[in-house]
Amino acid sequence: MRSIVLLLSCLIAQQLLAEESCQRAPDPSRIAIAGGSITEVLYFLGEEERIVAVDRTSNFPQAALDLPQIGYVRGLSTEGLLSLKPTLVLGEDDMGPPEVLAQLTQTGIDTVRVKEVHTAQGILNKVRCVANVLSLENAELVAAEARLVSQLNALESVTVSKQSPTAILVLMFQEGAAIAGGENTSADGMLRMAGIKNALVDVKGWKPLSAESLIKANPDYLILTDRAVSAAGGLDKVYQTPGVRLTNAGKHQHLVQMDGMSMLGFGPRTLSAALRLSEITQEK
Amino acid sequence: MMRAWVLPSLIGVKFKSGKFVGLGVLLVASFVAGLSQGAVSIPLLGLVNGSATELEQIVFAEIRAPRVFLAGFVGASLALSGAVLQGLFRNPLADPGLIGVSSGAAVGAISMIVLGAALSIPDWAEAYVMPLAAMSGAMAVTFLLYSFANYFGRFSVVTILLVGIALNAMAGVVIGLFQYVSDDAQLRTLVFWLMGSFSRAQWASVLPAIGVMVGASLVLLRQVKNLDRLQLGESEAYYLGVDVPRAKRHMILCSAAAVGAGVSLTGIIGFVGLVVPHLARLFLGSSHRLTLAGSVLIGASLMILADLLARTVMVPEELPVSLVTNAIGAPFFLWLIARAARS
Repeated sequence: MRSIVLLLSCLIAQQLLAEESCQRAPDPSRIAIAGGSITEVLYFLGEEERIVAVDRTSNFPQAALDLPQIGYVRGLSTEGLLSLKPTLVLGEDDMGPPEVLAQLTQTGIDTVRVKEVHTAQGILNKVRCVANVLSLENAELVAAEARLVSQLNALESVTVSKQSPTAILVLMFQEGAAIAGGENTSADGMLRMAGIKNALVDVKGWKPLSAESLIKANPDYLILTDRAVSAAGGLDKVYQTPGVRLTNAGKHQHLVQMDGMSMLGFGPRTLSAALRLSEITQEK
Repeated sequence: MMRAWVLPSLIGVKFKSGKFVGLGVLLVASFVAGLSQGAVSIPLLGLVNGSATELEQIVFAEIRAPRVFLAGFVGASLALSGAVLQGLFRNPLADPGLIGVSSGAAVGAISMIVLGAALSIPDWAEAYVMPLAAMSGAMAVTFLLYSFANYFGRFSVVTILLVGIALNAMAGVVIGLFQYVSDDAQLRTLVFWLMGSFSRAQWASVLPAIGVMVGASLVLLRQVKNLDRLQLGESEAYYLGVDVPRAKRHMILCSAAAVGAGVSLTGIIGFVGLVVPHLARLFLGSSHRLTLAGSVLIGASLMILADLLARTVMVPEELPVSLVTNAIGAPFFLWLIARAARS
């Protein structure tokens, strides 16, 4: 009987752990980060000396690549993390597995999960949340917030309307098929921020697109991550991909290449990426 | 550790005492190595005399210990199931991974990762739903295999591998389908889960699984006589007093339960069920008493060591343990085929 009670309380404890909060961490001096956008936020706030390790999605800025690696954001290892003696594990929505986070909490290490919302306000909230967890109240924070708010204001004038151009955001080419973002993806949020209509309607999540469905969606712009372009073997090769040439984007050579993490990471860089994307697509 | 001593006498092995003592020592040694080594250095002596810090104690008791126990029991179960399936199918290449039993368990478990949310399972039941689904998947595949075997008479080595390829491909289709309909977060859980790892070990989930594995293993170990007699053929076994349908039912259900309970926590871990029984046979001889008991000891030791390697070679990151077992198992598999081709 006692073991059942114990088991239940463990399960409930695990449930509670999933909650997100931005409360001040008791000791944010040594931080292990699981999630590229959080790493970007720490560098953005000038607090990078606190970082003791980052996960494999943290590839910006360049300096972050030299930090100790804790593996993939969803495949963390408890003992590996503990060996770095962090006081706080700060991560994105999808850090895990939950069992590892539960074990970290058990050893008295704070784990904080920062909420992910794919809007401009969501980015500002993310930065504020991290600043709050670190108990930051300095001039740098004020300046950093001001920069973000001015970009946010600039984006507010950009809205999606009937006249807005349509686009498809391609993350990757896999076996010739474009992996593109439908509803409920970071890509969808990015396009909306930049005042672009997502041409992929009625598709949820990241899906491989056949040539025919690409032609049917007929986007005005094709937005590609660097990774997608290099997977295809260059922009010229993208034009030769079946379907691309027959879309409006192909006909007018409206192919836009940008860094994937800056567009889809929803860190501080994403606001300027959205502004740039809206400038590129509205001017023509 | 108790098992090392209890097991052989439990099933009445005429002691090949020297070798079994050796295997017992190996198991104890790998157990101690597994518990004492890791990314965080914990002096075992400090735990005994109480000088260890609270952190060290927690890491040891709540993180490392459940993991080492899970690895040991999963290794023993996979090896034992492999040995029993090899005996039941009278086929030396039967392995839960190769013939599709593990994939069946994977399909069951994955269906819960993806569909679980839609079924609105109460929180308290969640820890049990995955193992149950995995076990049902493993059982379905084993039954399918067995009815095939019954229908066509005894399987040849080649046939069982071909059927295994087909079943694995079918499982691959279902898994692929689930990957397609799953959302981002589910997909990532799924991919990591498929790789096979003991990193999810927590007492709350490990203990029920160990219970199932021990129960199923005890039933399997009682089948030694039946397995020996089944080697002569089913009708011969029947005339020797074996209740053949009952024996088969027990073997199929319990090996599927043992594999399923393990797979639901760890994902697919290949080749242990194939390699270990062969090692046991080479080392101890081909009587099922020796093979089965040896498989349990060797399986547990090897799995603990493989996991130790997986979590210590690239600290603070971790290798999937199936990478380690496949690296050892695949060449061994080739060697087995070469040996079979020569004779």
